[in-house]
Amino acid sequence: MFDRIWLTYKQQRFETLAVAVMCLGAAAWALLASWHLNSVGVPASCLVDGGVPYWNGPSNASWIPGACQLPSQRFTDALTSLDVGIASSLGDVLPFFVGIAMGAPLVARELEQGTAPLSWSLAGARWKWLAGRILAALLLIVPLLLIAGLAADVLRGAQAPGTDPHASFHYFTSRGVFLVLWGVAALMGSVALGALFGRTMPVVVVALIVCLFARATWEPLTDAYVLRGMTVLQMPGASSPGELLVYESSGLYLDGKPWQGDLDAWWNAHTTCTLTDGAESCVGPSYPGPQLAWYVVTGDHYWQVVALESAIMLAGSAALGALALFWVGRRRPY
Amino acid sequence: MATDAGALVARATGVALQAHGLSKRFGKKTALDAIDLTVPAGSVTALVGPNGAGKTTLIRICMAFERPNGGRVEVDGVDPWKHRSEALRGVGYVPQTPAVYRGLDVDDHLAMARSLHSGFDAEYARKRLNQLGIPLDQRADTLSGGQAAQLGLAIALGTRAKVLLLDEPLANLDPLARREFIQVLIDAIRSDGSTVLLSSHIVTDVEEACDRLVILGAGKVLLDCPLEEARQAHKLTDSKSPPPGGIAVGSFAGKGLTRLTLWRVPADAGEGAAAATEPASLEEVVLGYLAAGRGTTGLQLN
Repeated sequence: MFDRIWLTYKQQRFETLAVAVMCLGAAAWALLASWHLNSVGVPASCLVDGGVPYWNGPSNASWIPGACQLPSQRFTDALTSLDVGIASSLGDVLPFFVGIAMGAPLVARELEQGTAPLSWSLAGARWKWLAGRILAALLLIVPLLLIAGLAADVLRGAQAPGTDPHASFHYFTSRGVFLVLWGVAALMGSVALGALFGRTMPVVVVALIVCLFARATWEPLTDAYVLRGMTVLQMPGASSPGELLVYESSGLYLDGKPWQGDLDAWWNAHTTCTLTDGAESCVGPSYPGPQLAWYVVTGDHYWQVVALESAIMLAGSAALGALALFWVGRRRPY
Repeated sequence: MATDAGALVARATGVALQAHGLSKRFGKKTALDAIDLTVPAGSVTALVGPNGAGKTTLIRICMAFERPNGGRVEVDGVDPWKHRSEALRGVGYVPQTPAVYRGLDVDDHLAMARSLHSGFDAEYARKRLNQLGIPLDQRADTLSGGQAAQLGLAIALGTRAKVLLLDEPLANLDPLARREFIQVLIDAIRSDGSTVLLSSHIVTDVEEACDRLVILGAGKVLLDCPLEEARQAHKLTDSKSPPPGGIAVGSFAGKGLTRLTLWRVPADAGEGAAAATEPASLEEVVLGYLAAGRGTTGLQLN
């Protein structure tokens, strides 16, 4: 088995090297960006909105307390710098590049280079041959993506110094164990497409499109069908750190209670208008009126959500792997 | 259990490979047309026919690469399509185009074979390659065509399989490489006693190694007999007058545009037959049957 794993890496030496460089490079970049943010040293008293420093953009400075002006300015500059920006977005694409780079050639290259008849005749049971190759790919990408995912967690912690990244749903599917899960899913999907198409380049193109689609639809779909049962009602203006907004209430709330009534009449009743020199000026209530509330998953359910979504992704990956085994078992080796 | 029983029956009956009514179609084209074929255990059978005759298809069905449309095939008593891993465990295969991994060296190929095939004898394969002077640390994609073919043969022999299926391994080799390949094959067969099915479209390439001849044409078995019988039981004339007891097989263009006719002559045909005709070479036997198989001569295939 060791021979087979080693020879798989040797056969795909370019992809193996590229995957290692991409993952370790992304991890190093994320850690450097974290260091950049941490070096600002924002005081705890300057953290708002559940642990994030004041956003000191061009039009915000006037309402930031004086002692927080400089640190929040420096933190905002660091957060919007190119290195932090790139590091933040790496988690969105890295697992797909890694999964496709290793998965696309795994079967397709054997077919297009004409070596499948030899290896399949020697292996006898094709599933054993494929399982050995998939195992080799997994042994490479799982630890590497885990390193990159943990580095992305560290970066998230640096972006919101007052929050625990493992109790915050902020970008949670672009960091941590999700990088591994996306990578494994992309690998399995690419292997299955490789067994179907038998050509590497079409697999790369189609797999990229499918991965982009999966990434874009994952959160809306899991919000709609998976996480609804775990939500609690979040009253307007009562946000908690790291919560995951799942869906909006269908009715209005006021002072923590459902409110039904004529919204225009309420606002008219709570608005005082005065006429001065022929010009009318109105002053509304000093607190929010009837508003829509949010159903949210709070940060203390972080690991529960991660476990649930991980199970779904792993089941999907296993299904794609089974599909790859089926196609490899049925198809011609040329 | 059923496959083990099949293998035992195959050994007891001395049959290594058997096809019954085997058919394969690709769209409207019939590659194999209900052929029956028996390859005795321990024999070295030349599977000869022109391009498109169905040789590769037959071997690919035996390797479970293709699914037959009708009939069945058994390799060492096992149906490869139903019991692929059991059937392939006892088969060594050399594909038509040498299958070499770019970027892997020769020894890596042997390591790969050992990791995939539990019974692979890497030392044996290594020894054969050493005898041929093929460096084990040479990258396989830099081997010559002949060396790549020898690597394929060494891998097939290293499986220590009872049945070797060689799909036109000589097709892309120069004459010297062909000769070397055949010599290595003969040497291996003598020492291992394997059953070999060796396909080629040129009979003279393989006659030295083989003891049986199967001629395939247009998806049918046109001749299946021991090589010696093929040599002795056929005569050639340059006219349509039959030798005594002779049965016309087919006619084809000879040297100088003379029309030659191949006759199948029974062993008890008498002395007259030999006097009136020329003995046919194996190549001429193959040409006669292929001409008959194409049906272009107007002569009846018997």
